[in-house]
Amino acid sequence: MSKHEAFQERISKNRGMTAKRRSIDGVRNFFTYLSAALAVFVLGSIFVFVFQRGAKTLSWDLITEDFHTVKYMVNFTEQEAGDFAVPDDLKEGEYFSTKYGFGVMEGTDAAKDTVILLTRKAEDSPLHSGVNAVAGDTKDKPQDVPTHVNVVKIAYKNQEGETKSAGQVRHHTPQEFVETLDQESTGIVSMNYQSLGGGIRGSIRATLMLIGLTLLISLPIGIFAAIYLHEIAPKNGFTNFIRTSIEMLNGVPSIVFGLMGMAIFFPITAAFGATTPNILLGAITMAVVLLPVTIRQTEEALITVPDKLRMGSLSLGATQTQTIFKVVLPNALPGILTSILLSVSRIIGESAALIYTMGTFVVDNPHITGRATTLAVQIWSVMSGEQPNFELATAISILVLIIVLVLNVSIKLITRQLNKKWKE
Amino acid sequence: MEQTKQEIKSQGRVPLAADGVMFDIRDLNLYYGDFHALKDISMEILSQKVTAFIGPSGCGKSTLLRCLNRMNDLVENCRIEGNIKLGKKDIYDDKAIDVVHLRTEVGMVFQNPNPFPMSIYDNVVYGLRCQGIKDKALLDHVVETSLKQAALWDEVKDDLAKNGTKLSGGQQQRLCIARAIALQPSVILMDEPTSALDPIATGKIEELMESLKENYTIIIVTHSMNQAARISDNTAFFYLGELIEYNETGKVFSNPDNPRTEAYITGRFG
Amino acid sequence: MPEQEKNFNVRDKIDMSRIKRRERTDKIFKTIFLIAGILSALMIILIFIFVGGKGIKPFLPGYEFGQQNLGKFLTGMTWRSDQNPPVYGAAFIVVNTLISAFLASVVSFPISVLTALFIVKIAPKKLRGFFTTVVELLAAIPSVVYGVFAAGKITKMVNSMAQHFGLTTHGGLSQLTVSILLAIMIFPTITSMAINAIAAVDKNLELGSLALGASKTQTNFKVVLSAAKSGIFAGLILGLGRAFGEATAVSMVAGNSMTGPTWNLFDITRTLTSTMLSGLKETSGLDYDIRFSVGIVLMIIVLITNFSIQLIKRSIGGVSHE
Repeated sequence: MSKHEAFQERISKNRGMTAKRRSIDGVRNFFTYLSAALAVFVLGSIFVFVFQRGAKTLSWDLITEDFHTVKYMVNFTEQEAGDFAVPDDLKEGEYFSTKYGFGVMEGTDAAKDTVILLTRKAEDSPLHSGVNAVAGDTKDKPQDVPTHVNVVKIAYKNQEGETKSAGQVRHHTPQEFVETLDQESTGIVSMNYQSLGGGIRGSIRATLMLIGLTLLISLPIGIFAAIYLHEIAPKNGFTNFIRTSIEMLNGVPSIVFGLMGMAIFFPITAAFGATTPNILLGAITMAVVLLPVTIRQTEEALITVPDKLRMGSLSLGATQTQTIFKVVLPNALPGILTSILLSVSRIIGESAALIYTMGTFVVDNPHITGRATTLAVQIWSVMSGEQPNFELATAISILVLIIVLVLNVSIKLITRQLNKKWKE
Repeated sequence: MEQTKQEIKSQGRVPLAADGVMFDIRDLNLYYGDFHALKDISMEILSQKVTAFIGPSGCGKSTLLRCLNRMNDLVENCRIEGNIKLGKKDIYDDKAIDVVHLRTEVGMVFQNPNPFPMSIYDNVVYGLRCQGIKDKALLDHVVETSLKQAALWDEVKDDLAKNGTKLSGGQQQRLCIARAIALQPSVILMDEPTSALDPIATGKIEELMESLKENYTIIIVTHSMNQAARISDNTAFFYLGELIEYNETGKVFSNPDNPRTEAYITGRFG
Repeated sequence: MPEQEKNFNVRDKIDMSRIKRRERTDKIFKTIFLIAGILSALMIILIFIFVGGKGIKPFLPGYEFGQQNLGKFLTGMTWRSDQNPPVYGAAFIVVNTLISAFLASVVSFPISVLTALFIVKIAPKKLRGFFTTVVELLAAIPSVVYGVFAAGKITKMVNSMAQHFGLTTHGGLSQLTVSILLAIMIFPTITSMAINAIAAVDKNLELGSLALGASKTQTNFKVVLSAAKSGIFAGLILGLGRAFGEATAVSMVAGNSMTGPTWNLFDITRTLTSTMLSGLKETSGLDYDIRFSVGIVLMIIVLITNFSIQLIKRSIGGVSHE
């Protein structure tokens, strides 16, 4: 083979190599596209799933309603049957009592049991004439029966003058219930009804209480510790030890924080009169969870405060404490705000640590030293029962997701604004 | 204005040791860790005069300046031997003197203007408020007289609520001077106060020093030979941590004793 | 008082006793700052002492609810808190925890690294922000929401997959479900660490590779990834740590088997964290205290993982500036 031929062959081989290399490069790049697309797909699936499943359940009633059903009983002062016209806009499956002027249809309550749902009342329906029948201060006070409740029982008089019951107690369907009343009764005596429950008002309140209490504890300790580390601490082994110890908290699984809360802090809350896991305990525990975040964010904010301001203040005869409170902290405020938003986002999302320290029993009127659930824990709570309640869990998830995402976007915006400010 | 001057003249508070000596520095040695930054400095700085510290970068002039109001305390690994007397008191003797009080007596203006991000008014009264002075009439009065002395009053009197950081560089530096003299100190230390400013702003600050020296002892660190020659009464030349020459400015610039001084001021190194 | 008689001398107002008082305040505050720092540092130590103490108690003589055998706890393959007397053997739980975390990282690691490479080096500038946001959002989603998603969607997916192989599952609760869930949950952790590591690679290295005739893609895969490997592996370890400690979401789909270890991917499993959360009712008694013992085991595993970050950083090296 001549030199020339050998050279030619090498070039053509090289061309083949280039083509091969191109295709390998293409395959490699394709896999990176695929991975990134997969991430988008997973995020999308989660959102689609949560919103599809939960959107129907999410309503203003859900937010304002108690979780547990409340039972009511009223007697009627106007008992006579009347003659009501069937409204035109009756929905499918909705039945209207022409004698008493109200509508019912099938519904479900918090425990996902089928109930007779009161949907409407005519203007002069006897249902407006209820008085409280339960013993107590408000007995015999007027009590209008609200719609959107579960009709457990209506006691009526039949032609023979006997008192009979209709409703859920007799396993009536809404249709049977209305037919029984309209055909057999001459008047109604009393009514037992229940709120539907399944609301999240209590958890929202508990979440807010937890956020407030946690920040009350974590902010001063976290900010002061950051001040110590950044403004005061000498550079020595002891300071390094403190830093390392705080960083190690970052790696602790949140469920272990839950154990910690019960083991270390429960006695403290017991001194405030707590006998069970409670909101205060959750707050102390969350404060510890958030310490490393708060300290790091605050320190980063302190770093952005130029040293010349500290020098200026000290040269004017201010003490270091005065310098910190009058000059350094006000300038670190936006950074501290970021750490607050981050903390709130973490508190709203946290569940494992709180299951141990606050319990899983949903409470409608939470108290600082009593059991309660946050929104996230209520999700866990309704999911871990015998019958997982996906509708409620996803509905709460929508709320939690929206809040957490809004907080995260705000943090991003503030941080971007800050970076701009200090670049100037 | 007349009244203002009167007031300040009556400020001979620091009981001077010898005639007209404000700072008496004896055998001062300063170390940053292993680095010997100041070597056997001994000098007397005179009251009501402008003293300039000159020398190439890293010669220790700024370090010495920061010894005079103990700002070096903030530097870790900084060790000081020897003593510095302000009047009759050793400023490194914590029993004789209080460092916070010292800094109200010895004001400082920094190389880069460093107004606090708050209103002009709050900037000027910052030092006073730190001392717990809340008397509104007094604060108002001090803001006016200090800004007048710093030749800033006419430019800002209509908008004292404006944020100090929104002023121009030269104005910011004058605000910092106003802030320092609001405490009516005896000494003002200036660490290259014009190096970050344009020529026009520099001219204004130099004019200002001219008028301030009637009432204050001024010590200025500068890189500019011209500036030292123009405004100072006495000049000290430092080189590699040593005080090479210290004399009346005219003498130093026209007929220096030491060949290294001559080499530096004629621009052969530095 | 007429104006001219007012004393405007500032120096008269500066008094030493006040200065002394302020310096006392200064000292007090500095002490408070110091205490806050020490208190924060103390927490990790308190966790070890208190959680450790409480977890060891069941194995000590004189334990009020009946002393447990530590050897049986550490080697046992059965966990029956419903029996009388209850049997607590945690060995299979440890094995299953390790298996599911390992499987999760096998799935998640390559996807994370490729995504990070795409975001930093391959994607056009406009898309970069979008994909970064996607990763950040995935990191921000609370674990309980992941749990609901897993219980509602992944279980169904796994169930139909099992039927495809002619197998059955317990409603989709399985080892595989746990692993897929964990893979999703550790994805943002590994990816963001990998993004940092890749972005920190020295540009000159890349230029050097390009100058030698390597293509952009070859440079990315050969030079950039290998220079960033220390940071990338640190991310993997961090992800593993998260996988071990993840509790609520996992406990929703684990199924809590009573014996093990589970080798069948479609069979139910039990992790350390799901054990700690299952059937939590009382806040005293053996069944409660034994959860602290499980907690110690979890802490030890997480600690070993975290310490290995340092080891890996030292032995793998790499040129990233992390």
